[in-house]
Amino acid sequence: MLSLSAAARGLDLGLQNRQKPANRGFWIVRWGQGLLLGLCGPVLCFMGAGCATTPPSPAANDPYEQTNRDMLKLNAEIDHHFVTPTVRRYRLVVPEGGRRGVHNVLGNLSLPTIFVNDMLQGEVSRAGKSMWRLVLNSTVGIAGIWDPASKIGIPGHGEDFGQTLAVWGVKEGPYLVLPFFGPSNPRDATGLGVDTAMDPTNQIHFKQHLWWAGAREYFTLLDLKSQTYQTVQGIQRNSVDYYSSLRNFYRQFRNEQIRNGHNQAQDLPDF
Amino acid sequence: MRPLKLPALTRRAMLVSAAALPLLQAGPAAAAGNVAETFVDENIHKGLSILSDKKLTLTQRRDQFETLLLGLVDVRRIALFTLGQYRRSAPPEDVEAFVNAFKNYATAAYQSYFAKYTDQTLKVTGSTKRNDTDFIVQTLLVDPNSSQQPSEVDFRVRTDTGKPVLVDVAYQGIWLSLEERDQFVAFLGQNNGNVRTLIAHLSELAVNLGKPTQ
Repeated sequence: MLSLSAAARGLDLGLQNRQKPANRGFWIVRWGQGLLLGLCGPVLCFMGAGCATTPPSPAANDPYEQTNRDMLKLNAEIDHHFVTPTVRRYRLVVPEGGRRGVHNVLGNLSLPTIFVNDMLQGEVSRAGKSMWRLVLNSTVGIAGIWDPASKIGIPGHGEDFGQTLAVWGVKEGPYLVLPFFGPSNPRDATGLGVDTAMDPTNQIHFKQHLWWAGAREYFTLLDLKSQTYQTVQGIQRNSVDYYSSLRNFYRQFRNEQIRNGHNQAQDLPDF
Repeated sequence: MRPLKLPALTRRAMLVSAAALPLLQAGPAAAAGNVAETFVDENIHKGLSILSDKKLTLTQRRDQFETLLLGLVDVRRIALFTLGQYRRSAPPEDVEAFVNAFKNYATAAYQSYFAKYTDQTLKVTGSTKRNDTDFIVQTLLVDPNSSQQPSEVDFRVRTDTGKPVLVDVAYQGIWLSLEERDQFVAFLGQNNGNVRTLIAHLSELAVNLGKPTQ
């Protein structure tokens, strides 16, 4: 019967296909996590130790659970007052095709970073695909608005430095919920910081660089929230404990990305 | 990071070949794998035929589809799994009450999403054996109303009770039973392991899920 709710919820998850740049958008928008972690990590740790009322979950590797829960509430308030209304207008005003174009452009901008991470993981074939996607979609696809590469059998895939660290054997560390950006862990937050540093578009400083960077982040946020809007609403509505649900989704989702689809059958628990 | 999963067609071809060649027939295990695939494949088609039957009213379609699913899914096994370590410490009567509450909750959750996947299709692409009675059947979900690539949906099928039953489903690699178990265990951890509190919460959720969304 779980499968009833599971299938029902799963089919609505909208956790976009891992081969599409949707995931990439998810990670692009959170590039600031790396920076924030550096600034906030010690504070979070201190707060977690000082004001914890929810028993820590050793099995869940979540020693800062109470702080994380507080942060999730803060993020929900920010979303409620500032983000959700904008996302609703965005979905109302911009048709599906337009939103798809925005999503494609953002995915195209992240391809150089994906290419580098493909190479760092020794995935030469996937790196070649990333390069081809960049070339085709930037030219024939007109700056990435369209995705002709997928049409000819070169689908997108996501990679980031957090995944690269995982491939290199770095453990994820304790679960964290960061202000504004949500679920993370030290490994992924560090990875996002590195991705930001290696992103070529952040290295090109021109007259309107700040405007460009701001607009990119703004649309990335809109794209992410717009794509996950119904998913998050569904999870919130169905969850017995939204926090635990989100934590589990995040971990399974990241592990799936790190595995690149590698079969996990033998790792599953017995029923 | 290299995907080790064989391409779907290759997997399928290998399974078919194994079944066709006597020398490669691995006996019960291979046959059981095919049983799991057939089980999922046949019931998907049954489900799709219900969902696409325009002669039925929406309510009839929903009820028939629900009845079909209830016949395929081992609710009790899933419910007990999601209780985690509290299954052993809770009084037996509470566990039984939880199984019923879980069934109602899952049904309500299913009904709240029913209309959203009436147009989608699933195609079996292969299977993986965990052991002689435990299989993962891989499928692809195609949404004709979306420009997204097909999504991977895996079904976990157990055959240890004499007939195949569904015990879990994964969407894009995210297993829902694991997520449910984490939620329930966390909730119980915050409520002194009191299963009755969880039952009350699930019942309340089931009622709320039955209300129309805003």
